[in-house]
Amino acid sequence: MRNLLVPVVVLALWAGTGCTTINVAQIPSDRSGKEIFLSAGDIPEPYETLGVVQATRSGVRLFGFLDPVGTDIQAGLRDVLIPQIRDMGGDGAINVRFHQIQYAPLTQVVMAVFFVFPLPSSVTVSGEVVKLRR
Amino acid sequence: MMEPRSLTTRLLLLVAAVVPLIGCSAVVRGQRLSDRPDDTGRGVYLSTGGSPKPYRTLGFVQVTGEGRTVAGMVDVGDAGLDGVIRGTLAQEASKLGGDGVIHIEFLDENPQTDYERLQQAAQTVNSLASGQGQVEQRRRTVVVTGEIIKFTQ
Amino acid sequence: MSRDLVVAAAGLAALLTGCTAVNTAYVPTARDGRDPFITSGNIQEPYQSLGLLQVTRKGVIIFGAIDPAGTDLNAGFQEMLPRIRQMGGDGLINVRWNQTQYTALARVFSIFLLGMLPGEVTITGEVVRLRRPGEPARGPSL
Repeated sequence: MRNLLVPVVVLALWAGTGCTTINVAQIPSDRSGKEIFLSAGDIPEPYETLGVVQATRSGVRLFGFLDPVGTDIQAGLRDVLIPQIRDMGGDGAINVRFHQIQYAPLTQVVMAVFFVFPLPSSVTVSGEVVKLRR
Repeated sequence: MMEPRSLTTRLLLLVAAVVPLIGCSAVVRGQRLSDRPDDTGRGVYLSTGGSPKPYRTLGFVQVTGEGRTVAGMVDVGDAGLDGVIRGTLAQEASKLGGDGVIHIEFLDENPQTDYERLQQAAQTVNSLASGQGQVEQRRRTVVVTGEIIKFTQ
Repeated sequence: MSRDLVVAAAGLAALLTGCTAVNTAYVPTARDGRDPFITSGNIQEPYQSLGLLQVTRKGVIIFGAIDPAGTDLNAGFQEMLPRIRQMGGDGLINVRWNQTQYTALARVFSIFLLGMLPGEVTITGEVVRLRRPGEPARGPSL
């Protein structure tokens, strides 16, 4: 019976803190030319390809929640990919892919308690940089 | 005469040796997304493809749902394509004022084959019967990404 | 001296065997209805979404070359076809795929693992049914 106690407690804690992690990057754009656009797929407008780019930003999570370096998808797209598109002279990127290490809420809570252990964190973004043919 | 437990163990070992050579499939299914064209105009538009109408991008979303398979039989948590994840995508789109999520990509990172479920169940039964009380668990993770949009027409 | 020789031999083996693994799969693409069609992109024709599908095949690859379980792209797509029909679908769109690939050098060194390497292929996509003319629209999915 004692052997079942720990897994039951862990399951209860885990169920209580939830099992879904959500990250949203608010980066509004269209293809009007006023701002750098990002698309996770193709676009209907004609374009010229400038190249492909992949970038990874790595860091640590402190206390389970603090992200001093910025390793979420918002930072990856806004602070890493968009400046890179500008440097390449592009109007935007298509077929953008993004992946961030996401930790379950229970893991974040436990790490907040055991704050001496930082969690590795990173985000990888990629895409095809294009220039719209106007 | 061979003891039943010894025979069972040998049979399990034989199956464990043969199955990787035959191969095993794990199939994960999710409920339907939006049709094309979506004549109803109601609800959140969800698609692995692009948008059927002109749109403006509002943002991007990544959702990871975690769960556990307990004793090869019971799925606990949110590691399913439907329910929380599909509902979560629609919820996040609504929070940003969006009409849909396009270019949805999904991956169940650790799907279980029928053989693995059976193995887990057998190990749990064996453990409980022998008094060790260990329940086999397997971590499950599903990752979904998408682009949140708002129709401009 | 003998250790340097082993390292040099390994380096030469790596150069001679190369570092690229290539796999191709032939999939049906015609919309003639005989086989479910498969495409990595979207389609222009109107369709009904039947749901998402992921198939994973796992097994063991012997000496990196003999794949009795079928864990390559071809086997994965062959596994997909009957399941698309089971769901009532005409095809699979926005397909993504991933297969375990070993370079020639990894296959050579698999001898240290009794020649057994884990193999896996995963394929995902959205199952669709092409809309027949005059078919009424369905309600929203969500």
